[in-house]
Amino acid sequence: MHMANELLSIPVAAGTLAIAAGGLGFICRKVREVLTGDKLPLMGILGAFVFAGQMVNFQLPAMPGTSGHMVGAVLLAIILGPHLGAIVISSVVIIQCLIFQDGGLLALGCNVINMALVPSYVGYFLYRTVTAGRFSPVRAYVGAMLASIIAIEAGAVLVPVQAALSGVLAVPFSTFLITMLGVHALVGLMEGLITVAVLAYLQQVRPDVVTDTLPGRVRLSRKSVLVTLLIFTVVIGAGLSLLASGMPDGLEWSYAERPDEPDFPPAVSNEDSAIAAVDEFQEKYSPMPDYSRRSSKLGEPAGEGMEAHVGWTSFAGVVGSAVTMVVIWLVAWLLRKKQARTA
Amino acid sequence: MHHAYIDKFAYQDSPVHRLDSRVKFLVVLVFTAVVISLPRTSVSILFCFAVGPFAILVLGKVPLRFAFKHILLVSPFILVLALTFPFYDRTPVTVAFGPLVWDTTLGWMRCFTILGKFVVTVLALIALVSTTRFSDLLAGLQRLGVPSLLVIQLGFLYRYIFVLIDSAHHILRARAARAIGKPGFNTELKVAGGMLGSLFVRSLDTAEHINVAMHARGFDGNWRTINKLQIRSADYLFALVAAAFIFGLYFFVRPVLQ
Repeated sequence: MHMANELLSIPVAAGTLAIAAGGLGFICRKVREVLTGDKLPLMGILGAFVFAGQMVNFQLPAMPGTSGHMVGAVLLAIILGPHLGAIVISSVVIIQCLIFQDGGLLALGCNVINMALVPSYVGYFLYRTVTAGRFSPVRAYVGAMLASIIAIEAGAVLVPVQAALSGVLAVPFSTFLITMLGVHALVGLMEGLITVAVLAYLQQVRPDVVTDTLPGRVRLSRKSVLVTLLIFTVVIGAGLSLLASGMPDGLEWSYAERPDEPDFPPAVSNEDSAIAAVDEFQEKYSPMPDYSRRSSKLGEPAGEGMEAHVGWTSFAGVVGSAVTMVVIWLVAWLLRKKQARTA
Repeated sequence: MHHAYIDKFAYQDSPVHRLDSRVKFLVVLVFTAVVISLPRTSVSILFCFAVGPFAILVLGKVPLRFAFKHILLVSPFILVLALTFPFYDRTPVTVAFGPLVWDTTLGWMRCFTILGKFVVTVLALIALVSTTRFSDLLAGLQRLGVPSLLVIQLGFLYRYIFVLIDSAHHILRARAARAIGKPGFNTELKVAGGMLGSLFVRSLDTAEHINVAMHARGFDGNWRTINKLQIRSADYLFALVAAAFIFGLYFFVRPVLQ
């Protein structure tokens, strides 16, 4: 479920990059307060473990010839705690992007959110909720299973949402959503089974790892988990809704018109003056102008309307991405400065 | 410990390799952003944009065969999505290409645009990582404001991926040597769980050893490098040329090609 650059528009990519950078910066700062130097090698090695672990495959039942492998986010979140787990899995996603070109550079924000931040926190929270109180194997297994399935589904749901906000999909939103949910229900189920199997093994060999005493975990009170989760929900929710209101294009595209049937009555009518104003603004300054079906032919000159505002749209696109890059840089710079002051 | 097959070209020497990693990273980022924001139906302009990464790969002495093999390896997800376009978008358009004119649908054009953008942006990313040592890239990223904890984490991860992949290979070979017939899903899962678990325990032990060894050598949680990053005149020149290329195409060639 690595998101590719091509499935995102510039505003969505920039927004998710900003959210991911801000989130990671925040976690790094929080972890730095409690982390000492000896835990750094452990985190690095466990990141490498995720890579190596993905090579250990097993035959899937009922589908001969196919095999599944571990994703690892939930396992690490359970064992390391959500903060360290999130950093480790984020680093795995970043390496996958930079070294293996799996998932694009602009899509890195989406990928970090979908595959590292959301699964780690959701998974950890669910696991802790189920296993609250005294440790018992049954609870641990049920918790790990539930955490794996829901954490992976939660990340998977975000993929069609981000793509729809970007307005690049030809597939109807609901079809894409259902496909993603269906495929990732299977992935989550496998992930749950393998996580439980690994936990069962670890409980026999290194019981200290599965209960609470692994050297190198950051202890968290339930309250702080809840607060962090709440903050992330608000931040991500606010980010997405901002994007949604700033870029009506994506949802509009999937709900309000049917490009294959021009006469199709729109499901949502934009009679409101505010929406009309946004529409007009967007038409003028959007970095990605709505393509015009009839004039965009290869090798044929574009219509006059296109030519008239080409200069403006490209100007807005460049300034927009430059401003966003400056914002990301500033956020990280501020966090680093603050970190340097507290250290 | 063979990093060999993914970034062996990063350790070569060429004018591109000697450029500052920060400049290269920012250029690739801007390039990707510009390519992604191109209109959804213009295929021809993508060829112009592909010239950039192509030139870098050539100057950096990276075989194109390697690059395209890699692109094929990472393409399945985007390929499936791109192939949905012809099914959902059947608006007929007439395409003219030089003397050739033929009828097709908008879906096919968008399918090819998406695939073209994918190839061009992945090519740019390959051009970046196969002409930059990962340690230089990390140092550059840290200078650009990435938190040091994340940079250290990425450094450790990169260093030990292949150590643990070697371990995983040993475990896989051991299973293959012992497996007879089809054991059924339950056993399969149990075996895989055991393999991953023992790999995990091994990782914990390795981490402990590394920790002790690094402590003995004075590691206190900070990365120190003797590598001084500096932006020289060649970097300014590269940035200027890249900017002229990207924005020249975007402002002057794109409106014409459309």
